[in-house]
Amino acid sequence: MTLNLCVLTPNRIVWDSEVKEIILPTNSGQIGVLPNHAPIATAVDIGILRIRLNGQWLTMALMGGFAKIGSNEIIVLVNDAEKGSDIDPQEAQQTLEIAEANLKKAEGKRQTIEANLALRRARTRVEAINAV
Amino acid sequence: MSCSNLTMWVSSKTSLSDSTALSFRSSITPVQLPSNNSTTANPSRPSSVTPIHCGLRELRDRIVTVKNTQKITEAMKLVAAAKVRRAQEAVVNARPFSESLVEVLYNINEQLQTDDIDVPLTKVRPVKKVGLVVVTGDRGLCGGFNNAIIKKAEARIAELKGLGLDYTIISVGKKGNSYFIRRPYIPVDRFLDGTSLPTAKEAQAIADDVFSLFISEEVDKVELLYTKFVSLVKAEPVIHTLLPLSPKGEICDINGNCVDAAEDEFFRLTTKEGKLTVERDIMRTKTTEFSAILQFEQDPVQILDALLPLYLNSQILRSLQESLASELAARMTAMSNATDNANELKKSLSIVYNRERQAKITGEILEIVAGANALT
Repeated sequence: MTLNLCVLTPNRIVWDSEVKEIILPTNSGQIGVLPNHAPIATAVDIGILRIRLNGQWLTMALMGGFAKIGSNEIIVLVNDAEKGSDIDPQEAQQTLEIAEANLKKAEGKRQTIEANLALRRARTRVEAINAV
Repeated sequence: MSCSNLTMWVSSKTSLSDSTALSFRSSITPVQLPSNNSTTANPSRPSSVTPIHCGLRELRDRIVTVKNTQKITEAMKLVAAAKVRRAQEAVVNARPFSESLVEVLYNINEQLQTDDIDVPLTKVRPVKKVGLVVVTGDRGLCGGFNNAIIKKAEARIAELKGLGLDYTIISVGKKGNSYFIRRPYIPVDRFLDGTSLPTAKEAQAIADDVFSLFISEEVDKVELLYTKFVSLVKAEPVIHTLLPLSPKGEICDINGNCVDAAEDEFFRLTTKEGKLTVERDIMRTKTTEFSAILQFEQDPVQILDALLPLYLNSQILRSLQESLASELAARMTAMSNATDNANELKKSLSIVYNRERQAKITGEILEIVAGANALT
């Protein structure tokens, strides 16, 4: 049996093809999905999606969302997804530094919420590059 | 030589009928500057419309100006038309996402109907302050597009004031920004710039802002004001409630009509027996079944928590896209009208110009004949 992965963002289809195995960053920890997985619905955290294609591992930074695993059909709905190879390392590192600085400066409940989210996104992007 | 010619010309003009009074007036001005004329009159002899006749030259200049303007408006129209197509493509690209999302949301809602769930984004609080997200365009020259949405916002503000509610504005788009900056008495939470093509990132920025405003309980209700794209010639400003999301409301048919995902559903803030209530009208449409056996990895609340921000995002993105499409369509119509007007103006100006030119030629012939007659 083959496993089909479909990663959708509001803008475009990021990934729509066959994979061997994926590791999905869910809210309750990472789960590996192989063919013939039981149908589940899960929330996807901000984190790294690992995809195995013929013995090769690819990474993708996911910005939080939702995944539905059906009969060998995975649909991942996320706000934004970027392939690790498409991220500019320098730019990602800079964004991370800015986000860290912003969190330190943040005052009040609202700014802290915003800064925390931004920091987590930035960190994930950097990790997606380095994880390869 | 040229000076005597001039006086001759002026005298011959006076002998003409009243209809040329205007051109006579303008042709008299060069007489006051004879030095200027004597230099230009001789080299430009072959071209019939010499600088002496300012009326003609002005007309010609105006025709050229109108022609240039027409070229610009025509180009803008074509650009807008091309961009409308791109905007439509963006909507089409967003469709698979919103379709799957609505499908999943619908089914999860179905399975959760019985449970008593409590998700922050769906919490309906007594409304004290309302956040208004106003989506305008970045540029003008698009007819009444920006005006219409700003008027709608003003009307809504007046309405909220009438209800004794506080409000704050999140302005998206340069036109709205400059409008609200000029009016400091309107509280604005944040100014955001639109870009040429709305992306998920932009929607995310707005969603983040809205999200934190709502979660930190600064506002108790968020409304989105944008221009709904109906057709190329019709667009209307609408108000759509973003938050609180109704956990039962996100329903639509999945047969491709998902761009209008929650359009069937309208929220109105009204007063009922002296209390503020939110009215909901929901039109239920059929949805196809999907795999019945679905386990939830986490708590249903957590899953909804993950889904609703996505939904919020896609709603905002869609409204941005619709707003852009409306703006471009409005610009297309406005520019097409401008081009038509320019054509008309050009036509009437050329008629006037040709008449004047003929009058001038007639005058010259009269002059020559009179001169010849005098000699014999």
